[in-house]
Amino acid sequence: MVANLTTQAQVRYEKILLDQVVLFFRVLHEAGLAVNSANLIDLCRCFEFIDISNREDFHATARATLVSNQADIERFDELFMQFWQQPDKVLLSAEKKDASDNLDGEEEKDSQEKMQKQLQSDDEEGGDQAAHETLSELAYSADEVLMQKDLSEMSAIEVERARQMIKEFVAIIANYKSRRYVADKKRARLDFRRMMRRNALFEQMGLNMAYKARRIKKTKLVLLCDVSGSMERYSTFFIEFIYALKAELPDLEVAVFSTRMTMITELLKAKTVEESLAQVSAQVHDWAGGTNIGGCLREFNDRFAREMLHSRSVVIILSDGWDRGDAYLMREEMEHLHSRVHKLMWLNPLLGGSDYQPICRGMQTALPYLDYFLPVHNLESLAELARTLRTIWR
Amino acid sequence: MRGGNPLFNSIEDIEKKFADQGYITDRMLATTVYLSTVLGKPIFLEGEPGVGKTEIAKVMSTVLGSELIRLQCYEGLDTHTAMYEWNYPRQMLEVRLQEARGIEKEQIGRNIFSEEFLLKRPLLSAIQAEGEVPPVLLIDEIDRSDEEFEAFLLEILSDFQITIPEIGTIKSKLRPVVVLTSNRTRELHDALKRRCLYHWIDYPSFQKEMRIVAARVPGIKERLSRQVCRFMELIREEDLYKRPGIAETIDWARALLSLSADELDPDVVYATLGCILKFKGDMEKVQEANLRQLVDRALLTGETSGSSYSAGPQSD
Repeated sequence: MVANLTTQAQVRYEKILLDQVVLFFRVLHEAGLAVNSANLIDLCRCFEFIDISNREDFHATARATLVSNQADIERFDELFMQFWQQPDKVLLSAEKKDASDNLDGEEEKDSQEKMQKQLQSDDEEGGDQAAHETLSELAYSADEVLMQKDLSEMSAIEVERARQMIKEFVAIIANYKSRRYVADKKRARLDFRRMMRRNALFEQMGLNMAYKARRIKKTKLVLLCDVSGSMERYSTFFIEFIYALKAELPDLEVAVFSTRMTMITELLKAKTVEESLAQVSAQVHDWAGGTNIGGCLREFNDRFAREMLHSRSVVIILSDGWDRGDAYLMREEMEHLHSRVHKLMWLNPLLGGSDYQPICRGMQTALPYLDYFLPVHNLESLAELARTLRTIWR
Repeated sequence: MRGGNPLFNSIEDIEKKFADQGYITDRMLATTVYLSTVLGKPIFLEGEPGVGKTEIAKVMSTVLGSELIRLQCYEGLDTHTAMYEWNYPRQMLEVRLQEARGIEKEQIGRNIFSEEFLLKRPLLSAIQAEGEVPPVLLIDEIDRSDEEFEAFLLEILSDFQITIPEIGTIKSKLRPVVVLTSNRTRELHDALKRRCLYHWIDYPSFQKEMRIVAARVPGIKERLSRQVCRFMELIREEDLYKRPGIAETIDWARALLSLSADELDPDVVYATLGCILKFKGDMEKVQEANLRQLVDRALLTGETSGSSYSAGPQSD
């Protein structure tokens, strides 16, 4: 409702407003905010009850209906100010983004097609049976070799194959259920203990049938991955590997760090690991600064640890331990982390080399606080890691 | 859309009525509350602990003159504890009694699945509420429950009806005013949040906190109140494990008043620091270097306040 307009002018005004609102909605969507059309409808329904010409109320209404996360508030406010004061500027950038997105899509598709063709032709060489069998033997042993190959030395084709292999051996480790039983009213198996307790009140048997079922245990798993320099390749593989296991781990959080840290759990819901890392690259890397493990752990402890960690949590840090930051800080933060979680694990790709000794200061500082110190340099170590993780989740 | 009389006349109406009860809102929160009542959508309040999320539901029920029904969430909260449960022991006894009275075999136990034997838990109570004004249903700390419960709640909040297999479907006559709160210990599903109107409650600005203290601690002199609020503002900028909320400000102000302190000085602040900080690590951090410094800065306060940390535009 807007004061002081004739009916005709009102209708026209409302139509223009509606168009603008829909446009604003598109702008938000393209900026990556999680808005959906049901909320847009809600917003429009609100117009009946507020004075739209009051900028403050309109802003409050838009925020209440379109935003559902504290993290989005700042960006939303920015876009709101921009849009309702300088619509042209905002629109242009939105359109430009559209165009460049399309271009990236094309390029990616091309290279993927090429790789696929190569993978297929690798499989399909040779016509007759014998050749086929020899080929599958070769393929098998090629896989064996691949299991041992260092992840940072793999070619693009090998990376593809490695990813497929991860999916294969993860499928074997499926839905792990905890052995503990809890009372279940859905009636799967009889719980004799409860029956006995309840029947103490009554003298006859079978009056109160109590049931139980296995409880599926959920562990919170937090990954803190170093993505500086050569660590990026290992981290990418590792995150993909964990995601392949995701069916067993609903409570998973992922952060990456180099000079600074940032959470990428939300990004990973919509994008691949590589895309997510590319997106946060500027936030995380400061080429002048060097890896700052202590500082990044500090950031994590301050901003997220309270929310994310509880007594059953497992934190996994992936890094080579080369740290340019303050050793005292790192020790303090490792101590905090250690005291808050169930298990603290450090994965170091350098452990792959048989003569590696953790002499660098960062690694030495961290060692006393770790429950597990394991390699992560090739597929074999990942497979081993899967086995270790299972014992922890128990 | 909610039928019947509107619960509030306008945004200003809400601001005034809440202020009368000692709950100071800002325009944005009042707008969200207003829209919630006219659209019939729940409110989803997120924010740091101690900023008044639970409090607002209590105030709402006082202002509306209706019942406050509270469902406290925790991990493992299941649908039966939230909704209803059959009173098994009583049903057993009823059957025994009927047997003892010699009632015919076919008639025994006919009545045991009736409302008389139903233990009503918060959600069912909210749905069955009668009266002129709808009750306020507070679903507190929903982030402590699990995903299954969220999904279940989503269903209930869409239709406001419950099906009890033995009785039938119970629909609500009055749509309750629903307030959900979360301390953000975990991320909730989008589906539930989108069903609601969202509001993030931040720590209050200096001005707002002054008004809150004035409303909640009658008798406090303005000078002390100003110093207290300034000190709180400064201490929230410190690197603490747990930043104090509004409840702590009020407690501290009351404590100072009862000690007849006219203004802050390092000794009295040191003595009463336990009202504000509840963790040893935090107390140590503040006692060491900066207690004196903080007090000095708080004493310097004029009418202007320093920084603020809310993400949205200041509206008070």
